[in-house]
Amino acid sequence: MQSFIAALLNSLDIAMLLFVIAVGLNIIFGVLNVINFAHGGLYMLGAYFTYMLVGRLGLPFWPALLLAPLAVAAVAVVLERLVLRRVYDRHVTDSLLLTFALLLIIDESVRMIWGSGIHVVRPPDLLRGNVSFLGVNYPVYSLFVILMGAAMLLALWALFTRTRLGRIVRAAAIDRDMAQTVGINVPLVITGVFAFGAWMAAVGGVIAAPMRAIDPGMGDKIIIESFIVVVIGGLGSFPGTLLGALVLGFIHGFGGRYLPEINLVLPYIGMALVLLWRPQGLMGRGAAA
Amino acid sequence: MRTARVASRLAPLAVAGIALAAAFGSTTQAQEGDPIKLGAIYITSGAASVYGQYAQQGLRLAIEEINESGGVLGRPLTYEIEDSQGKADTAIQAARKLVFQNEVDALVGLDSSGVATALVPIMPELQRPLIITHAATPAATGELCNRYTFRVSANVNQNMKAAAHIAADTGAKRWTTIGPDYAFGHESWEFFGKYLKELDPDVELMSKTAFPRFGNEDFTPYINNVMALKPDGVLISVWGGDLVNFVRQANNLGFFEQDMEILMTVGAATEVLAALGDDMPEGVWLGTRYWFDAHDNPINEKFVKAYMERHDAPPSYNAEGAYAAVYAYKAAMEKAESTDPEEVAKALSGLSFEAPNGTITFREGDHQATVGPTWGKTAAMDEATGVRSLDPMRSFDGKEVTPSVEETGCKMK
Repeated sequence: MQSFIAALLNSLDIAMLLFVIAVGLNIIFGVLNVINFAHGGLYMLGAYFTYMLVGRLGLPFWPALLLAPLAVAAVAVVLERLVLRRVYDRHVTDSLLLTFALLLIIDESVRMIWGSGIHVVRPPDLLRGNVSFLGVNYPVYSLFVILMGAAMLLALWALFTRTRLGRIVRAAAIDRDMAQTVGINVPLVITGVFAFGAWMAAVGGVIAAPMRAIDPGMGDKIIIESFIVVVIGGLGSFPGTLLGALVLGFIHGFGGRYLPEINLVLPYIGMALVLLWRPQGLMGRGAAA
Repeated sequence: MRTARVASRLAPLAVAGIALAAAFGSTTQAQEGDPIKLGAIYITSGAASVYGQYAQQGLRLAIEEINESGGVLGRPLTYEIEDSQGKADTAIQAARKLVFQNEVDALVGLDSSGVATALVPIMPELQRPLIITHAATPAATGELCNRYTFRVSANVNQNMKAAAHIAADTGAKRWTTIGPDYAFGHESWEFFGKYLKELDPDVELMSKTAFPRFGNEDFTPYINNVMALKPDGVLISVWGGDLVNFVRQANNLGFFEQDMEILMTVGAATEVLAALGDDMPEGVWLGTRYWFDAHDNPINEKFVKAYMERHDAPPSYNAEGAYAAVYAYKAAMEKAESTDPEEVAKALSGLSFEAPNGTITFREGDHQATVGPTWGKTAAMDEATGVRSLDPMRSFDGKEVTPSVEETGCKMK
């Protein structure tokens, strides 16, 4: 029973971190129709900015949680205005290649700026140590990750269903031309959504910084996981992303514990099964492109 | 008039002819002062690029030292580096480019065992000597051995034989492992078990082990599993950024407070220790191919001092391996009095030379250097270097831990 609870708790913190990152990827796809490979790079930038602010400049963790994602969002605005904007009218594969190139550029830039070494960031004092939960020792920081994920989930849900801004974004996602006709500044919405998605990736990066090694390969690793989440949950589906993140979190948490011999292939088996059974993802509305 | 016109037509042709002849001349015979070219193949991009960076620092330091004191056979050394990306096919392309386009005289490098097993068999085709400085798979100087391939660094065999000695001395009986799920993790456990059984037939090698995916970021389920097994000792062959993740998550779960002996087979890597600082607990055994503080000889003193002055950090084993390889080539070329690849390969076989980790010999039978790793128990933080010091520390003699040529399965061709 204890081992089950440990696996469950462990799955949840993996799932919530994946959710925060993958939902940004999915929102960008929903509105821009761009599969954004650079998302992994933006996540990594969030972690490296945190390392700069906390590890080098000695700032506490909390202002970094505010500042690093804003800085990454600013980078995203520049990328969208200068580069990405030019390929919206082209086939989706062009944007795929372009964002992949951006990921490589971000990877190498990070290596040139911060070097190829491994860095770590300490968790804030408040979040160190363990709590005992139903007889299981659980790191306080993991609890914080779960709470952050849940808070983001509620905030996003409220934003998209309860606010005017959310309705505008959804309108732009459903029909860009119609939205333009009724007076919505669609280019501005698109820039805003891209920056918001990047902001989410960076929040994931800041949250990951105190628990994961910060190195120039972290963006490549997370982008694959995030794609698996989105494919399982369904491209463009917000609840699907949550479901996909939970499925992958459980695969890692329980698979690592009970089926360690085949843990390498489990995420891919999961993805393949979903694709065979529901090619559009568990909650997807079907491929738009 | 007429002759003048002909001459003016012929002049450019003649110039071209001379240029062509000169160009041929320079490729067919090396001039006195022409540099000797080394080709290096390391991981210089992506997550593990830190290893390529360190190797390059070692190469550069050795080459500059040698050039300042007159070069090799009166010629300066240069090097060109190509990125293997840790992938076999990329590394083979890189090797071909270095040999056929850049016309390097000798090769050095290789971080990954996967790359080594792919590249070593085609060395006879490339016809250049290769000194491996990092990749640890026994096969490279075992069943795949050939007359062009040498290894200056300790391999899995040597490191695990040393680990078995450390493990036997702790008195722990029930052992399990946590290692990356590819050749390196599985080979480490296999050889460790084999040698430990020889030293102490009473030990139990548990059938339950943990092999998380390489690049796995969350080790918690594996750590929980191993803690539930309540072993006496755990061999951990996770390395690099994965090891940083592992140690921090294990700290959270109280893994190091259990009554267990912990051996980390490549734990004393300065890039990992510098990242972890005092997150690396005390009282854990760490192994490494080279530890900057373990060798009391003038070459090591000079190497560590020069490296610290440049990079403000102690040298990692990968810098030392590359540094030593350059000196090995210097010794071999001077012995052969030539840079001809065949002659240099012949000279390397059985060669002894001085490296930071002592006098090193490439065994004639399999071309593996008889070197031993250093193992040490983590102690207080060393404020000068920002990494944990090792105390007690034990450097193994290569003769003590290198299996016989027959055991390696090498049939030299």
